[in-house]
Amino acid sequence: MILNEEQALLRETVAQFFNEKAPISELRSLAGASDEQGYDLQLWSEMVELGFPGITVPEVYDGLEFGWMGLGTIAQEAGRCLVASPLLSSVVLSQNLLLNCGSDAQITTYLPSLMSGEATATVALDEGRFFNPDAVAMSDASGTLNGQKDRVLDAGQSAYIFCIAEQASGERGVALVESSAEGVSIESRRTMDLHSSASIRLDGVPAADIVWLTGYDVASGIQKTIDQATIALSAEMMGSAREVLERTVAYLGEREQFDVKLGTFQALQHRCAHMYCELELAESAVSAALTALDHAAPNIGLLASSAKALANDCFTLISSEAVQLHGGMGVTEEMDIGLFLKRSRVCNQLLGSSSYHRDRYARLIGF
Amino acid sequence: MSQPESHPLSKEALAEFRADVANWLEANCPLSQRQPIVREEQIWGGRRRVFPSSDAQQWFEACRDRGFTAPEWPVEYGGAGLDPEEAKVLKQEMTRLGCRPPLYCQGLWMLGPALLVYGNEAQKREHLTAICRGEIRWAQGYSEPSAGSDLANLKTKAEDCGDHFLVNGTKIWTTKADEADWIFCLVRTSDVTPKQAGISFLLIDMATEGVSTSPIPLISGESEFCQTFFDNVKVPKTNLVGELNGGWAVAKELLKHERKMMSAFEGMLEKPAMELLELADYAVGSDAQGRLNDAELRSDMSRHLMREAALGQLGERIYWQGKAKQVDPRLPLLMKHLGTSEAQAKDELILRALGDEGLSMEDPNVSPGLRKMVKQWAFNKSLTIAGGTSEVQLNIIAKRALGMPSGEGKS
Ligand SMILES: Cc1cc2nc3c(=O)[nH]c(=O)nc-3n(C[C@H](O)[C@H](O)[C@H](O)COP(=O)(O)OP(=O)(O)OC[C@H]3O[C@@H](n4cnc5c(N)ncnc54)[C@H](O)[C@@H]3O)c2cc1C
Repeated sequence: MILNEEQALLRETVAQFFNEKAPISELRSLAGASDEQGYDLQLWSEMVELGFPGITVPEVYDGLEFGWMGLGTIAQEAGRCLVASPLLSSVVLSQNLLLNCGSDAQITTYLPSLMSGEATATVALDEGRFFNPDAVAMSDASGTLNGQKDRVLDAGQSAYIFCIAEQASGERGVALVESSAEGVSIESRRTMDLHSSASIRLDGVPAADIVWLTGYDVASGIQKTIDQATIALSAEMMGSAREVLERTVAYLGEREQFDVKLGTFQALQHRCAHMYCELELAESAVSAALTALDHAAPNIGLLASSAKALANDCFTLISSEAVQLHGGMGVTEEMDIGLFLKRSRVCNQLLGSSSYHRDRYARLIGF
Repeated sequence: MSQPESHPLSKEALAEFRADVANWLEANCPLSQRQPIVREEQIWGGRRRVFPSSDAQQWFEACRDRGFTAPEWPVEYGGAGLDPEEAKVLKQEMTRLGCRPPLYCQGLWMLGPALLVYGNEAQKREHLTAICRGEIRWAQGYSEPSAGSDLANLKTKAEDCGDHFLVNGTKIWTTKADEADWIFCLVRTSDVTPKQAGISFLLIDMATEGVSTSPIPLISGESEFCQTFFDNVKVPKTNLVGELNGGWAVAKELLKHERKMMSAFEGMLEKPAMELLELADYAVGSDAQGRLNDAELRSDMSRHLMREAALGQLGERIYWQGKAKQVDPRLPLLMKHLGTSEAQAKDELILRALGDEGLSMEDPNVSPGLRKMVKQWAFNKSLTIAGGTSEVQLNIIAKRALGMPSGEGKS
């Protein structure tokens, strides 16, 4: 990334903050918590104090309007420490869905409480085994909202759930329900990366408990939000990939076998050099996508799909190689390396696998 | 990314430059020279240069006279003295109008940039000017039969004979040596160790007695390169670039430019008869939704197109880092390996898509355009070898970008 002075300062502050307040040991402590708890509330409130929720929000809504490159910087640094927080679920997904799909009145009603940290929200998008935003069965055809959603991030701690669903009119819409509403059941589970996500059942949620977002062009607002979140998640993944590659290169520079540092073996040097090439290639795609968001470029779908497919492939490669190159240590629970491996595989399924994005890219180009 | 504001030129000045250049190109680039370049019509310059058409000659001469064959070189050496930003604008405008590159020459891409750093005033005046005026065509005399990746192992000897060097030995894989006028050579001037410390950089006129070349056929059916022989060749001492025994530094500077050029070579080559997408649709067909019938090919094509775009984005990143003075010196080290492997990945997709039509370079029943693509596939296998192999690039990346320890691991 090329950062201007303010962004560089932000990076420094954020890196220091996560290193101090959210080292990987913090993530590990979640293992003993209940499945509903996906992040530490104290950490989150400090992130709020630093202004993270307002980072991309326009000034008219009291945000910092610091841009997506700024958010990408935070996401990357979070990725380096494998930070568990509602950054993706509430700040990126929910807030932007509200901004992109809500009316002005709806935005001013709900956004302040999200930005102040008083409440968090999440977005219920996926249905079934894989990410596929085109297949949505949840609907309010019968006058009440019914259906099932999967991989709803941090649902156990969210006050609001934005459900992507079919409206009675047949159009795709966004239904805002409170997680405590009648007919909402949330089944949380801890995924192997120690984050929390849930399957949610809506059984006859009454119309009175539903707020449909009524902004201008909801359908493209949904797509835009998905692209924004896809790019932000890709940035986080790049931070994790960079961290785990650095740890691996450092390990090979220390560990001795056959009376030499392992890092002197050319077979291992080439694998590391190859990973580094892949890392900077993917980083370039992610960086271009963040820039495009800041400039409201038109081809954002292509850039988002490229960024995510490249980030998926790159983080998958690097995290697997990292385990291998750590030898026996790599497969121990004690080392953090395994957590990067697991996080990578969870991220692959969030907001689209490489197969999904390669298919989408081809569709968008028309082949 | 808010693009760094440290432009030495104001936005207005740059916009004015763009308009000026666009007008000039409109006025001076004949329509025939805005057609995609074909290999036979590339202008390589040199004593034996011939122009494929009067339009081509007119376009070349207009560029030459405006310094646009070497836009960033100083005006006094025949360039246009543009700063990088202006040069980028010129390139963008030429791309927009589809103007052909006015001149192809290893002197332009490799020797010139190195001479600008290491040449003395007389050398710069003589050689840079002749290069950008397209008067002299250069060949590169680095590799030898026993000095490939281990370039410092070279043995071609230059003996000090008072006012001249006497050169004896042989170079190999010398691209287009049979068409070149001069050759820049790495020669051994001392047997000290390390081997790098006994190498000098010499400029040799190939018309000198004792220089001969012999072409070597390639797997693509062409003969791109030669073995070059030096048999008691007398070279004036004034043709030494840099210090005696200081040639390694010049060699490395030059390689930097060679690798940069190679990572972006595709844009200068003849455009294939069909673009990848068109070709795939032609060869494997598409379903009612417009999806290619071969799902795996389709997915691999997406992957390639994404990576190709990311390569462009990496190039942009390097460019903007330079402008913002936030240079990450590791990134340029990656370009050659990434760029050349992706070019080969594309060739493999083309060959896969072509099926039966990709099985011959000579079959007269296959259109010449498609046959050229098959030849290109074979020829491009050299991209990851020439200019420092991919393995050598990975060695460099491991050491210089990742700081991995040197010293050969034994087991
Ligand atoms: C099309 C083409 C044009 C060329 N044009 C020119 C030219 O104009 N002028 C010129 O001087 N040269 C030219 N070359 C030569 C080119 O620079 C050499 O081919 C290249 O440096 C490799 O040397 P080599 O062929 O001897 O291979 P070798 O060095 O013998 O390598 C053989 C294999 O071993 C690997 N290898 C070698 N050393 C190492 C190592 N340390 N670690 C790991 N793997 C290693 C290589 O990567 C390669 O895979 C050209 C080559 C080609 C293909």
